[in-house]
Amino acid sequence: MADVTNHVDKNGANPVAAPHERPVYFRGGGFRTEPRRFVGLAVFAILLIIWEVGSRTGVISELVLPAPSQAFAAFMELVNSGNLQKHVGASLQRLTIGFSAGSLLGLVVGTAIGLSSYARAGLSPLVSAIFPIPKIALLPLFIIWFGIGEGSKVATILFGCFFPTVIATYGGIDSVDRTLIRMGQSFGLSRWEIVRKIVLPAALPAILSGMRISASIAIILLVAAEMIGAEYGIGAYVLLAGNLMSTDQLIAGVAILSMLGLIVSWLITRAEKAFLGWRN
Amino acid sequence: MDLRVDGLSHWYSDLEVLRDINLTIPQGQIVCVIGPSGCGKSTLLRLLGGLEQPTQGQVTQVGEPPVGSLNPLTYVFQDFALLPWRSVEDNVSLVLERHNLSKAEKEDRISDVLTRTRLSDFRKAVPKQLSGGMKQRVAIARALSVNPAVLLMDEPLSALDSQTRELLMDDLIDLWTREQFTSCYITHNLAEAVRLGHKVVVLSRRPGVVREVVDIDIPLANRRMSDPRIAEIQQDLWDMMREEAQTADLELAP
Amino acid sequence: MSIFKMTRRVWLANLSAMTAGLMSLGMPTVAAAQDDVVLGALRFTSHGAGFVAYERGYFEEEGLNVKFEFFQAAQPIAVATASGDVDFGVTGVTGGLMNLAEKNALRIVAGVLHEKAGVDGMIVLASNKAYEEGLTSIDDMPGHSLAMTQVGSTFHYMTSRIADEKGWDIADIKLVPLQKVGSMVAALKSGQVDMMIMVPHIAKALAADGAAQQIGKLNDYVEYQISTMITSVENIENNPDVVKRFIRAYSKGIADMNAGLLDPNADPSEKEALTKILHKYVYTDQPYEKAAPSIQNGAMFLNEGAALNKTDVEKQMNWFVDSGLVDSDLTVDQLVDSTFVETN
Ligand SMILES: Nc1ncnc2c1ncn2[C@@H]1O[C@H](COP(=O)(O)OP(=O)(O)OP(=O)(O)O)[C@@H](O)[C@H]1O
Ligand SMILES: [Mg+2]
Repeated sequence: MADVTNHVDKNGANPVAAPHERPVYFRGGGFRTEPRRFVGLAVFAILLIIWEVGSRTGVISELVLPAPSQAFAAFMELVNSGNLQKHVGASLQRLTIGFSAGSLLGLVVGTAIGLSSYARAGLSPLVSAIFPIPKIALLPLFIIWFGIGEGSKVATILFGCFFPTVIATYGGIDSVDRTLIRMGQSFGLSRWEIVRKIVLPAALPAILSGMRISASIAIILLVAAEMIGAEYGIGAYVLLAGNLMSTDQLIAGVAILSMLGLIVSWLITRAEKAFLGWRN
Repeated sequence: MDLRVDGLSHWYSDLEVLRDINLTIPQGQIVCVIGPSGCGKSTLLRLLGGLEQPTQGQVTQVGEPPVGSLNPLTYVFQDFALLPWRSVEDNVSLVLERHNLSKAEKEDRISDVLTRTRLSDFRKAVPKQLSGGMKQRVAIARALSVNPAVLLMDEPLSALDSQTRELLMDDLIDLWTREQFTSCYITHNLAEAVRLGHKVVVLSRRPGVVREVVDIDIPLANRRMSDPRIAEIQQDLWDMMREEAQTADLELAP
Repeated sequence: MSIFKMTRRVWLANLSAMTAGLMSLGMPTVAAAQDDVVLGALRFTSHGAGFVAYERGYFEEEGLNVKFEFFQAAQPIAVATASGDVDFGVTGVTGGLMNLAEKNALRIVAGVLHEKAGVDGMIVLASNKAYEEGLTSIDDMPGHSLAMTQVGSTFHYMTSRIADEKGWDIADIKLVPLQKVGSMVAALKSGQVDMMIMVPHIAKALAADGAAQQIGKLNDYVEYQISTMITSVENIENNPDVVKRFIRAYSKGIADMNAGLLDPNADPSEKEALTKILHKYVYTDQPYEKAAPSIQNGAMFLNEGAALNKTDVEKQMNWFVDSGLVDSDLTVDQLVDSTFVETN
């Protein structure tokens, strides 16, 4: 400090200058994301434009990647042929049944593991052992167990959704504030009432984020599920496009899958807003 | 209805927490329990309300709970224990739902307790929107709604700032003056004990034994902190506590 | 042969003409030196001509330094050839192959495998259940379900050819796409589908185990070009000489295979010598004694001189185009380059 003062003295006109004043630097802020509308859309649009221009000028060869306009043309062909509804309808049915049944079962088993020492000791190692098995590897077995009809397709999705829901549910139950449960007991609530009115609502945030994951897994597994004798379905469409090297149809099919993902994610966000409004 | 404790001892495996506690909580009185940290106050309260089973001795209800009491032994928790996803009225309604009350009776009970705790304007609010003091009033309203015989309160004010605490203490005194509820009130705040307690039970450091029971026969409504009698009792309690607290403070936590 | 690899390759090729030149195989100016060539293959007896040509030094004689790249399925071989990851491939005439040809990525340059009456070929199997219920010959096929890998696969085409020969409507046979041979076998064994058409070494094993019943042979009804030799358009244009030499060496392997494994009067010691060569590549996880019959069962008729049945390839192409599986812009000359081998 002394040095600095000297330095100022030498250069300053006034040796007994007023105390050095300066505004305090702002160093807070940041590290918090705020909603920025249209940025995502703009990034998307810019990428599409670069892609289209690249394809038209030949920088991106047709073999590598078809132009977005070609993929769109393939999509319109699908719309005009009337097959879009058939594909989407078949897939949605499988997704809905597989996801609902898988989530419901997962919720039941997850709650059991979360609340009962025996269920936890007996089932949670089993869940950890079976969860990481790629369901695609089991397809030949699924064919034998569930047939080549809707059964094996729904089962593939069901299995995919079941395990993440189990894990999310019992994780959520583990982190429920125990004093709330104590409170329920102290007022003489029945065990079932405590589960239904305290434990499950408190675990709901974890359960919903588990569902977000399992819904994505369901869409990922759609392609695998529709490997088994599917005539219609977006997964079957994508597979056929891949087998035929029709990359424009492939991109169109993949785009439909990702639209499906966006819609599901939006629905879950809506559900979160509706059920978890109390958090804000 | 009185609550009587006979020869109560409690162990957590090898840890002796409470030793031979004998105590009565007479109807219409507030019994404050003070003692150094970790001496077993919360444990005692859990034993009183049947949330835990004593290793030895027993807790007895003497006499009948008031007519219409849905939950004779009712807790008020330190951290309120409100369900954050339920509104004020729904938090109260939670503990009434299983009793097959008619819709009208349920509604009566809810609006009655909310009026008594001055919360009628906040029926639809969720806990997040309430201040700490209001949250504890909701918890008290919830406890009152089941018409308890004994209110078991574990440091109900310690999560609040000191002004709020004063206000809520006044509320409790008003409430008692109006309806003479029975309560076991755990605290480590001596000022609370001398303001609210008809009896103050002093526990020793762990294992907790009853060191002293101090009766304060000044009516609750008339107690002022400036009153030298109050100050003297508080000083006596502190002298008793100081030694225990100092020794307890030097011991390692188990 | 992933899309990613392909992307990288082509990007590089497009970014710089110089590097593109280096990436193509060998350089014409140094023809005297050994040219490095990668052959994409499946571990099947039907791909054996390449193994024989390699082991017996036919490639070396042509100044080719061949390396094998092994695949699990035929379809990726076509993709890898288009991307330049392999230089030559042997693969079925599939819809995927045609669409790649339509993008001028690759062409058929020679014939390899041909269905021919009297020689081992594709076998039509019925599930035990369907067999008991009366599906005992090809004539009973209509009204039954048939497992295949994919829409537009060779299995799909074969079925349609049988239907054609017999004058049936293909819609009378319920085609079930199951993507994988393993799934097809599982579905047939458990009676979930009634039929499938299968390569001889798998089909014979299933029939021998009693897991399924043979109800006919494809080449009793249809003779056609099953698989072909493909290479990239880049190779055809920049290194036609290498292509020519490669096919010449490969043809010698074909000649040995047909003479040693298919001819009923073949010299037993030659048969054993060939089987030993193939055992280095096929059924390597089994001891020779166990592998030998499977290897010999897998032998099918190979086109002498790698001759190509262009007429049949065109017929196949037209079927795919008519079925809407392949872009109608495709011409047979885009699909086949007939300058290298005899065609008919
Ligand atoms: N469930 C339990 N299992 C084992 N030990 C426990 C359990 N609950 C409390 N203890 C131990 O028993 C002793 C008494 O605990 P308790 O909570 O009753 O004390 P306290 O007087 O309420 O303390 P504080 O003033 O900090 O609230 C402590 O040493 C505590 O660690
Ligand atoms: Mg405590």
